[in-house]
Amino acid sequence: MKGYFLRMVAALAAALSCMIGTVSADGGGVSFKVDAPTITPLGEYLRVEFVADARPDDDSFEAPDFAGFDILAGPTVATGRQVYWVNGKQTVTESYTYTYVLMPQAKGTYTIGAARISVDGRSYTTKPLPVEVVDEGERRPAGGNRGDTSPEAHVAKDDIQLRIKLSSTSVYKGEAVRASIVLYTRTSIAAINNVKLPSFEGFWSQELPAGEDSSSREELNGKVYTTYLLKEYLLYPQQSGQLRIEPAELTAVAQVVTQSNRGFDPFFGGQEVHNVNRKVTTPEITLNVKALPEGAPRSFNGAVGQFTMQGSMPPEKISVNSAASISLTISGRGNLKFIDAPSVTMPESFEIYDTKTSDSIKVSAVGTSGTIKYEYPFVARSSGEFRISPVEFSFFDPSKGQYVTLSTQPMTLTVTNDGSVPEMPSDARMMTSYGEKMKQLDRDIRFIHTDSGDLRREQRLFMFSPLYFLLVVIIAAAFIVIYAVMRARIRENRNIVQRRIKRANKVAVQRLRMAERYMKQQQRHSFYEEMLKALWGYISDKFNIPVANLTKETIREELYRRGVSAADAELFCEIISRCDEAQYAPSTSNSMEEVYADAMEMISKIESIVKR
Amino acid sequence: MKRIKILLSVMTAAAMLLPTALQAQDGSSDGDAVGALWKHATDAYSDKRFDEAIESFTRISEMEYGSAELYYNLGNAYFKAGQGNISAAGRPFASGELGRAVLNYRRALKIDPSMSDAQYNLDLAVDYTNDTDGVPEFVLARVWRSLRDMLSSNAWGILSIVLLALMLTLAMLYLLSRNIARRKAGFYGALLLAVLFVLTTLLAASQRAVERRDDQAVVVCRDTAPVHSSPDSETKIIREPSQGVTVTVGRSLGEWREITFADGEKGWIRNGDIEIIR
Repeated sequence: MKGYFLRMVAALAAALSCMIGTVSADGGGVSFKVDAPTITPLGEYLRVEFVADARPDDDSFEAPDFAGFDILAGPTVATGRQVYWVNGKQTVTESYTYTYVLMPQAKGTYTIGAARISVDGRSYTTKPLPVEVVDEGERRPAGGNRGDTSPEAHVAKDDIQLRIKLSSTSVYKGEAVRASIVLYTRTSIAAINNVKLPSFEGFWSQELPAGEDSSSREELNGKVYTTYLLKEYLLYPQQSGQLRIEPAELTAVAQVVTQSNRGFDPFFGGQEVHNVNRKVTTPEITLNVKALPEGAPRSFNGAVGQFTMQGSMPPEKISVNSAASISLTISGRGNLKFIDAPSVTMPESFEIYDTKTSDSIKVSAVGTSGTIKYEYPFVARSSGEFRISPVEFSFFDPSKGQYVTLSTQPMTLTVTNDGSVPEMPSDARMMTSYGEKMKQLDRDIRFIHTDSGDLRREQRLFMFSPLYFLLVVIIAAAFIVIYAVMRARIRENRNIVQRRIKRANKVAVQRLRMAERYMKQQQRHSFYEEMLKALWGYISDKFNIPVANLTKETIREELYRRGVSAADAELFCEIISRCDEAQYAPSTSNSMEEVYADAMEMISKIESIVKR
Repeated sequence: MKRIKILLSVMTAAAMLLPTALQAQDGSSDGDAVGALWKHATDAYSDKRFDEAIESFTRISEMEYGSAELYYNLGNAYFKAGQGNISAAGRPFASGELGRAVLNYRRALKIDPSMSDAQYNLDLAVDYTNDTDGVPEFVLARVWRSLRDMLSSNAWGILSIVLLALMLTLAMLYLLSRNIARRKAGFYGALLLAVLFVLTTLLAASQRAVERRDDQAVVVCRDTAPVHSSPDSETKIIREPSQGVTVTVGRSLGEWREITFADGEKGWIRNGDIEIIR
């Protein structure tokens, strides 16, 4: 039951696939291609295949002209049919192949002409294909005819070779170079073992995705080889000089067919197949890496290739505390992965955030290409008009051999504030975005002085010069002279005072005598007047005080100061008071004799106490 | 008392006139030529024609005694010219301009030790050299030095003379006045001025010694100059000072001169590799 069901499904599928296959062949274009080696040695046959992916009309195939070749066999027709199921969808490919086996007649380049078929009445032709026929010299005799029948002898030394091919032998540092590891062989290879790939020291390497068609034929040292592209890399030299590329190594297993020694093999016609292991190494190769020339622009940071830059600026007017950003797009071909973000200088009051980087980079045989987008977000913290200087990006163009600098347009940005948003005070702003102190960006010497100073003055030392000592002496002498003069004068002044003091007693005595005369004549008024004169004058002369400055108080103080007892000082003042009163009083309350005696006694007493 | 006042004012006036008297010295005729040359030199510097500026400033220095400003400008011109003169090895100051710049800054500072611009530029230029730091200075010594460098020895000298005159005036006030308060003021004032007089005299003497010294030299060579252990090119090279390193010179022997570095290390250098700061 189950078997029957499966068979039913298979039959249904076959029928369906048949239908769809026809449809697809009708709908799409039919491809008709020629497949033949483009290079072939003289004396070896070559196969030429004409492949169509749809069923041609009966007898519609027209063979091309095979000038320069003998047709050994053909055309043989082969049909193929493949059915794919992918995710539930069925695809059918059909192929019709016409095969010829040709033998070149002579050395040279010959062209296989266009073959023609028609499918459903429409005709298709192949492109003419040039084939180079190379003369490799004498052909190696077939293995079986030689005495040495070991399988190793059937594979000549140069039959299998390994090479690293470089797309260029001299590049600039940072410029991409393509390295292909290629196996050259003239025998059939069954397997490859022990592959050791170089580590590419001194380079940054990136493996390229394997292409679809990895085998072809190539001429090497006058011989035709089948080549297999094993690996392909893009190399970016990271240092300059002669860079050595380490050799690659592998063991190839060649298949050799020999005549059997056992001549009576009933089935296999006396042929045996042997596997021959052959270790191959690539020859030493070096790459000349040129250093980048001097005089790199300031903004250069290692980009090598061809690039373009596009800058997109924020709108010209933004409001305070709103975020905006500058974005830069660098696109082109070169060492994109090594590019650092170009530096953007923003006004100080802008708060700057981390740069965002996004890229889309493709790696292909011609190099790395793609775009990198940098975004510089910022927030303007204060209003005003700000100039944003152009952003520069420099790269080295290896094809021109010079540096190229790209820059954006300078722009002015107006930051507006409608008053609703408080702006940060400048100090706080500095604290948040720039740390505590203004940074020293760079140092340079200060500008010259435009004033010449006194160019003509000889630098004479004044200190300890004769002039200096002369001045010191003059000042000292002036001091001494002036001091001496002043001192003498002061002394003289003091002598005058001394004399007056000496004379004080004398004057007082004279006055008192006069007063005594008036007393005898009973002239009261004149007596007291003379007495007062004598007393005041005495104190004035004695203590060198002007009469105008004298009061009873000052007299009392002065006497006390000079060592006269308080009682005596008081008594002296009392005598003056008595004289004052009696001078104008008509009655005699106290006698003149008494006042006279007291005054005499007082003056002599003061004289004895105040010596000088 | 009036007399003392008059005397005091006379002495002060004399002290004030002293600097003017010192300055009123020679004067010659070709001032216009020098003035024109000076203007040409400063214009050349402003237009970044530094080689021309060097030439003109050097000519002025040959014609006249020279001022601190002249040597300062010459140092600047050398420095700027050197910055643009890149050697094959990628170094600036390819023709020994750094050494010349340091030499001229030091000359300017010798004339005017208080010239802060020259000191700033000298410090900056020295950063380009491989000069070693000197032996660390004692704090008091540093204070003394910075105080001393505020004025030239002449200015200190004049100040000390003025202080002497004032001190003696106050001393006279003390000696002659009969008023206790005046006598007191005179006494303490004179005492203070005496201390200041001694201090300024010492500063002047110290500064004079600095100004008179001619044992300081600057290495002027293209890049670095070898310093040998003995006056003999066969002996070991003990150091390789770069241009602009300041050294103290000692004995002389043939084409060799003994030098001492700031850190005390001694060696012998060829006469041609150094220039004395005069």
